[in-house]
Parts: sequence; C-alpha cells; structure tokens
Amino acid sequence: MLDILLIRALIAMVLIAVVSATIGSFSVFRGSTFFVSGIAHGALAGASLGIFISLNFFGVDPLLIALLFSVFFAVIIGYASHRSENVDIAIGVMFAFSMSIAVLFLSMIREYASVAWGLIIGDVLLLTASDMILLSVSVVTVVILFFVFYRRLLFVIFDPESAEALGLHVLRYETLLFVLIAVGVVALLKCVGAILVYALLIVPAASSRRLFGSVEGTIAGAFIISLISGLGGVYLSIYLNVAPSALAGLIAAIIYSISLFR
Amino acid sequence: MGSRYRGVRNLSAIEVKNLTVRYDGYVAIEDVSITIDHPSLVVVMGPNGAGKTTFLKALLGLIPYNGTVSIFGKSPRKVRDRLGYLPQRERINLNVPLKVRDVVLLPLISRKTGIKRYDVKRAKEALEAVGMVDFWDSRFDSLSGGQQQRVLFARTIVTDPDILILDEPFSAADVRTKLALIDLLHKLKREKTVIIVLHDINPLVECTDRVILLNRRVLAYGTVAEVITEDNLEKLYGTKIPVIRQGPVCYVVGGDRHA
Ligand SMILES: Nc1ncnc2c1ncn2[C@@H]1O[C@H](COP(=O)(O)OP(=O)(O)OP(=O)(O)O)[C@@H](O)[C@H]1O
Ligand SMILES: [Mg+2]
Repeated sequence: MLDILLIRALIAMVLIAVVSATIGSFSVFRGSTFFVSGIAHGALAGASLGIFISLNFFGVDPLLIALLFSVFFAVIIGYASHRSENVDIAIGVMFAFSMSIAVLFLSMIREYASVAWGLIIGDVLLLTASDMILLSVSVVTVVILFFVFYRRLLFVIFDPESAEALGLHVLRYETLLFVLIAVGVVALLKCVGAILVYALLIVPAASSRRLFGSVEGTIAGAFIISLISGLGGVYLSIYLNVAPSALAGLIAAIIYSISLFR
Repeated sequence: MGSRYRGVRNLSAIEVKNLTVRYDGYVAIEDVSITIDHPSLVVVMGPNGAGKTTFLKALLGLIPYNGTVSIFGKSPRKVRDRLGYLPQRERINLNVPLKVRDVVLLPLISRKTGIKRYDVKRAKEALEAVGMVDFWDSRFDSLSGGQQQRVLFARTIVTDPDILILDEPFSAADVRTKLALIDLLHKLKREKTVIIVLHDINPLVECTDRVILLNRRVLAYGTVAEVITEDNLEKLYGTKIPVIRQGPVCYVVGGDRHA
C-alpha cells in the first residue's frame, strides 16, 4: 500500500517541477513572486470555505472552491496591475482578506481542522487517486497554454508597452499568466501546502535564474532544482519520518543560498 | 513584405485634431492639432512632464483620448503593423534574461509559433544597421545602457514600419552611438516618417523637417528656423536659453535641457 502512495508522491514531485520550471520562471521574470504567495493563501481561503460548505451543506471538493477563489483573485489582480504601477498593496490586501477568511472558517470547523491543516502544510505522501487526476489535468493544461503563448507572454513581461503597440492584448495576456499561476498554485496545494508553495514554485526558479541566466536555461534549471528538492524531500522523509514538503523546501532554500555565492 | 506606403510622397502620414488626454481627470495634453507629412522627421521637445510620452502613446492608440488621430487615414489601432515604437528605456523589465537575438526577434515571432530563417535574416540586418550584430548571442541585460538602446532601436525597425515613434532614443547613448543612430535616421527618413522625442535637438538640426514645442499645449509647430527661437524656448522651459544662428542652421546653447 505504501508503494502506490510513494509512486504517487514521486509523480507529483515531477509534475510540481514542471510547474516550477514554467510558471515559476515566468513569475520570477515578471517579479510577481509576492503574487504567488498571495494566491496560495487565497487558495487556502477557498479550500477552508469548501470544507465548511461540505461539512454543513453539500459535498464539494474543497480544491474546486480553492480554484474558483484563486482564479477570481488572479483576474482582479491582473486588472489592478494594468491600472496602477504598484500592485503589491492590492496583493497584500488580498493576502490579509484571504487569511481572515481562512481563519474564520477554520475556527468554525475546529474538529475537522486537520483536513485544513493538510492544505496548509500539505502531504505529498497521502495523495488519493482523484488528487492525482486533478494534479495531472491542471499541470497538463497549464503547460499546454504556457507553451502555446510562450513568446507572447515573454514579450508582454519584457516590454508591455511595445507589445501593446504591436497589437498584443497586454491585459489579456497578463491575466492569462496570472490565471495560469493560480491554477498551478492550486495544483500544488494538496502536495506541499499553502505555506510551502513558494518554496517549491519560486525558490527553484529564482536559483536557476541566478545560476543559468538565459530564459531557456532558467526553465530547464528550475525543473532540475525543483525535482532534486522534491525527490530529495520525499526520499529523506522516509528515513527521517518528517514532512517531505518541509525537507523539499529546505533543500530548495539551501540551493538558493549556494546560488547567491555564484 | 514591402510597404504599402513606400514611394507615396506628400501624403499626410498623421493628422491630429483637438487631441486631449486626461489621466483620472488630470489634463496631460490639451487641444493638440497638427498634420505631419510623409515622409518626414519631426522632433518633439518640451520639459519633463510636458506630455511628450503621452502624445506618442495617443498616436499609437495606447491610451484613451478625446479628439481625432488618423494615421494614413485610419485610426491608430488599425495600422499598428505599420508603426514602430521605441519606449523610454526605463520602461523595460531587465529581469527577463533574454538574449539580444530574442529581443529583436520578438516583434516578428510573437504572433506566430516558429522562427523562420527569413525572420533571423531580418533580425540580423536590423542589428547590423545599429552595429550590434556581434552581440547576437549576448544577454540583453548584460549590455551597457547605450548598447541596449541600440538593440531596442533595431527591434523598432525590424518590422520595417512606415512610421517610427521614438521616445528619447539617445538618453543613454555616448557620442559615437548617437552619431551612428543619427546616421541611420538620415537614411530612414528618406522613406519613413520619424517622430522623435528629444531633449537636445542640436545633433538632428540638419535633418529635422518640423519641430513641435509641447508643454501640455502646442507652443509652436514649424521648421527649426521658425520654431527654435530664444523667445519660444524661454516660454517652453521658463528660463533664458541662448540660440546661435548660422544661416538656416541654429544651435541651442547648453542643449540638454531637463528644466
Ligand atoms: N499613467 C499615468 N497616470 C497618471 N498620470 C500620468 C500617467 N502618465 C503620465 N502622467 C502624468 O502626465 C504628465 C505628462 O507625462 P508624460 O510622461 O507624458 O511627460 P513627458 O513629457 O514624457 O516627461 P519626461 O520628459 O519626464 O519623459 C505628467 O505630469 C505625469 O505625471
Ligand atoms: Mg517621457
């Protein structure tokens, strides 16, 4: 029985590495990493609302509500960033609002808080078959859209005004990027938890940006660093009997510190 | 992909009537009406915050405006593929580790998926024109400010637009770069309309057809000799600026005015 859970965990880590390579790298290029942790907490708020609903009203997958919440936030922030230069305030407000919602519902479902706790710190070794389906479908969708719009997204991140002048619909592409980030974050939520989404999505991409330079190099490097962190975390957790996502986050952070000395 | 408007002379490239742009109620430019011939080179001058960038953005259809802007008889958004825009360099995100070739190829390939050999050839020609083809594989963010500006200039001409809209293209350029780009402008203006925001008109005096002095409104619009006068410059910048005249040519003393 442990075998299937382990295999699922390893597959999940590969899929997470794909998200880090694509969405993570572009978030680093755009300087939108605060947005990523904001969205992770927005997703957490959605999930705790989902748990509350399924306990009191009708059955619904909390991750589905998490997805709705984070995509909604992504669209709002996409619009806000188009209107003003500094969106960090808007993201901060979303962050605070999300945490208030999360704490509100978690305090109402106290006896089931362990379910929610699973989404805060995640557990990649407890993934169900339906979690795997959700994870694979979201990652495949994100990756396909990412590569279809790859150059347009790059252009819009690099120089939005010129992109717009050449007829690209900047608001549309920025929103697309934000929605892709939101979907990627929700995919990771069950595996690594809201707190550690940043550790596995952004930290590998940020290290890779420092180590490998070019756009393609950053993408390839982020995949490898995220994979090393993820698989290393799972492997060590079996011996040390602690949460794999925490170990993965530590490995990623150590790699980042090393990249600083380059 | 030849230009539809090449060879067409004395056609007005741009007609602007009663152009007003507001940002959340703040009036950035007001009641601007001018006609720009094709081909020609037009310099836009004015102090910081005068609305120069705003004027260019309205010509490109990038911001909402009141009044009419027509480019080759159409609204700006309809002729976007004929416009080339070089934004002020500060607007560019250097966090993206693009190579020089990627930067120049972006406008050519951003709307399709693959890179054609023909695209590469055009990108190389554009970089050749600004003397940066040797940097083909270099990282854009590792270049000096002036080199970056040359690459961005190449990116602006790579699509072979009929109208070039350039926002302070020399702000980081040293003398040599400036002269090389001016040389290029001399060639380009034979068949293209160039609208260029400058703080220092001196190096372009010989090839400028018209000057717009802009400070929220148009203070003056005409040839260099008509417009660049001590009176006008004092009105524009609010301080006395000597002008030296030699026949049709005149020079602004202490050219780079960031008043
Ligand atoms: N997006 C914006 N929102 C609000 N106000 C703006 C915006 N962009 C420009 N402004 C204001 O409009 C005025 C004109 O700005 P603009 O950038 O067009 O000036 P400029 O002549 O290009 O100045 P500079 O020489 O500094 O480049 C300025 O007062 C500026 O503060
Ligand atoms: Mg400006």
